[in-house]
Amino acid sequence: MNDQETVKAALADLAFLGDRATGAGMHRMAYSRDWSPRFKDMADLPDIVVVPHDTEEVVQIVRVALKHELPVIPFAGGTGMGGGIVAWKGGIMLETKGMNKVLEVDPANMSVTVQTGITIWELNERLAPYGLWLPHQPESKRACTVGAAIGCDNDSTFGVRYGKILDCLTNAVVVTGRGEAVRLGHRKASFSSTGYKLMHLLVAAEGTLGVVTEATLRVVTLPKTREVRAWVFRTLIDGARALERTLASGMSVESAHLNCRQRLHFYTHAYRQKFGKEPEVPDWAESILFLSFAGDEDVVQFSLNKAKAILEGEFQAEFVQEQELVEGYWDSKHRLAFLPFKQKWPDSQREKKFGAADVGVPMGRLEEMYRAFLDLSSKYDQQILGMTVYNESPNKVSPSISFAIFVDDSTHQAVQKFYGYVREMSLKAVELEGTMSTYIGDGDRLGGFNECEHGLSFQYMKELKALFDPKNIMNPGKKFESRWISAKC
Amino acid sequence: MTEYSSLKEYVDDIYTCNRTRCGFCSVECPVFRVKRMETYASRGRMLIARGLLEGVLEPSPEIQEVMDDCLMCGYCQARCALDNLHIFSAVRQELREAGFASPKHEKTANKILDEGTLFDRPIPYRRVGTTPLYLGCAYQSKPQEVQTIVSVLEKVGIDPLVSDEVCCSYIVGAVGFDDEYAQAQARFRQVYGSHLDKEILTVCPTCTATLRDEYHLNVKHALVAVAEKLQDMRIRPLSRQVTYHDPCHLGRMLGVVDEPRQILRALGLEVVEMEHHGIFSTCCGGGGGVLEVDRNLAIEVSKNRIRDAVAVGVSTIVTACPTCQPTLLRGAGRLANELGQFVDVVDLWELLDQALD
Repeated sequence: MNDQETVKAALADLAFLGDRATGAGMHRMAYSRDWSPRFKDMADLPDIVVVPHDTEEVVQIVRVALKHELPVIPFAGGTGMGGGIVAWKGGIMLETKGMNKVLEVDPANMSVTVQTGITIWELNERLAPYGLWLPHQPESKRACTVGAAIGCDNDSTFGVRYGKILDCLTNAVVVTGRGEAVRLGHRKASFSSTGYKLMHLLVAAEGTLGVVTEATLRVVTLPKTREVRAWVFRTLIDGARALERTLASGMSVESAHLNCRQRLHFYTHAYRQKFGKEPEVPDWAESILFLSFAGDEDVVQFSLNKAKAILEGEFQAEFVQEQELVEGYWDSKHRLAFLPFKQKWPDSQREKKFGAADVGVPMGRLEEMYRAFLDLSSKYDQQILGMTVYNESPNKVSPSISFAIFVDDSTHQAVQKFYGYVREMSLKAVELEGTMSTYIGDGDRLGGFNECEHGLSFQYMKELKALFDPKNIMNPGKKFESRWISAKC
Repeated sequence: MTEYSSLKEYVDDIYTCNRTRCGFCSVECPVFRVKRMETYASRGRMLIARGLLEGVLEPSPEIQEVMDDCLMCGYCQARCALDNLHIFSAVRQELREAGFASPKHEKTANKILDEGTLFDRPIPYRRVGTTPLYLGCAYQSKPQEVQTIVSVLEKVGIDPLVSDEVCCSYIVGAVGFDDEYAQAQARFRQVYGSHLDKEILTVCPTCTATLRDEYHLNVKHALVAVAEKLQDMRIRPLSRQVTYHDPCHLGRMLGVVDEPRQILRALGLEVVEMEHHGIFSTCCGGGGGVLEVDRNLAIEVSKNRIRDAVAVGVSTIVTACPTCQPTLLRGAGRLANELGQFVDVVDLWELLDQALD
């Protein structure tokens, strides 16, 4: 919370927004938390909520914030798991979803330019009549905006074919902490070798450099057909190696998700509801790999047959005969077609809630990381929900891993234990030549502590931050500071 | 600190939402589509409910206005495992007990309690027949539409019996007048008592849902009865392209989604679906008493629904609700200049009457 006189003065300066700028308690309360694990009754109220409609209004808002030295927190989907939008230093909550216009659809150049407050779901509805889609597809896509995808660098179901948001982003407009609107990137060209790649800095910046207000995205043709299948393996690494071999054969795999046994349980709620039993998975199976192929029907059929031959012939994988199980998983992962009132959340989250360490390690260290997951979840009394390995670099086994557990958020001590688990998992990932986070971001949990991963480059990051945001008003308390994890390595 | 006894019943649901934040309910909420603020979507309202319970917020006219700006359309509930609508009704009830209720809602509730009807009726419609048909206040105020419905029912071989009616009083409960709602229900049972043990045909979606879910009566929407008899009928095909707007209570709450489409196709119409349809349809703007307290919001919601039809290239919307049709027509009228076209909104009963021999 900031000084009330300052807040009052800032509100007066924001009067140009009319009723789209407010300091009323109910609006502040409505923006008081995201999906990250924190104490059940925790709420961080911003001082002011604003709903700008365009870049120019954002410039004016940031200038008011600069004048009064108030934080600016860009709010988008609000589904983040890392506390990225939590206003724990008060300030101005900038609701970006008021900026949801499609500015240009350019089918000839396979490009779309949008205001970043549009959700990925809405954008794809708008692109569908042109036979196009944005393939960056986080599971949160109903709520996740284009801006949130840029700010958080979140997961994409189809990463193994199309990569993530950065692989689609060609241009962006950002309102920096200097109160200036700056265009970054290379217009509609897919890449550029001039200057520095400043646009790349916006991806995973979590709004700490500025508010991204407009984006130009390279979109792709909607596939004519899609098929999803699953195979079980005796070990995790078998699943990963089988995927590498499948990609090496020259096929284009659209999605590749490797789950441990426990995680499958989380995604088969619809199956259990329908059949009243657990899906049949052999006792010996340690992992289950879901692959999807998309494109023309004959190519998809060929790919399925070829994948089957590789996985079963070379890796002794067993094909999952129950397609209902596979479709249930896909309903949960991509279609978001849960049965109303019976979806996997929030029913599974009444007692405890979803939380994860989201580390990345090279594929050869998967088994070691998984063993650390089992050990550390036990050490910190965390109930295992399971592991999913997403692959999110085009045509490569490129693990982005969710090591998920059910968090007890009933007491401060229990939540603190969860962050103890995240801390040790993060250190382990760095030890295994990996990274602390691949899709949740630093948020208010890894800031400062991430110096353990970055070393001297952490200081360069601070310098970069100061260049974009000299008064540290853009989403402070993130990236360089944590509420949960001490900075000591 | 206020007790909030009604709201405390839902404390588990409220905290579950607060701790989850999946956002499935938010962006497609028809009110959010206009306001673009979390406060007006279900998960924002759930945080307000928690704020009241914890004393972070106190009842105020501002909170009452926000809670009154809910269409009670149930979109959020269809996307969620929680009891959203009852929670919002409980918040309205708590606000009212704390002295914050819309005077317009008070007036409506009092009118229903005093006169037994929501709208003024020219002459109450009655008809001697064999199958009880409950028209409800909206249709009772529209004699021409009632003639059309009765004509269709006669053509398919149903002999409707329309007797004395009083309002089902849905809106009294929805805006947070719980005690008065109980009184109104008792009066309904008294007036309509002779039919309560029979199957009752209904035409208003809201009345149908209320009589089924709140009064626990054996009701059947008359369109379902018509759909059952349609294959035996002679039809003059109406060749054109339309889209169907599912009224919230008929589609989402009663699950009557297939029958209206079967009828439209049987009438020779090509049905193009809007993005939001079936149980995930979006409100016309006429729900939850919003028309009374925030007319501009209701009109903006209806305009968005018209835009949904235009987005799929259709210029005729068919619906089957005495609230949806005029509300959507109002939106279509306001949007005509911007779109350069007028999107017509037609009642399904009217099409049936035209097409049936």
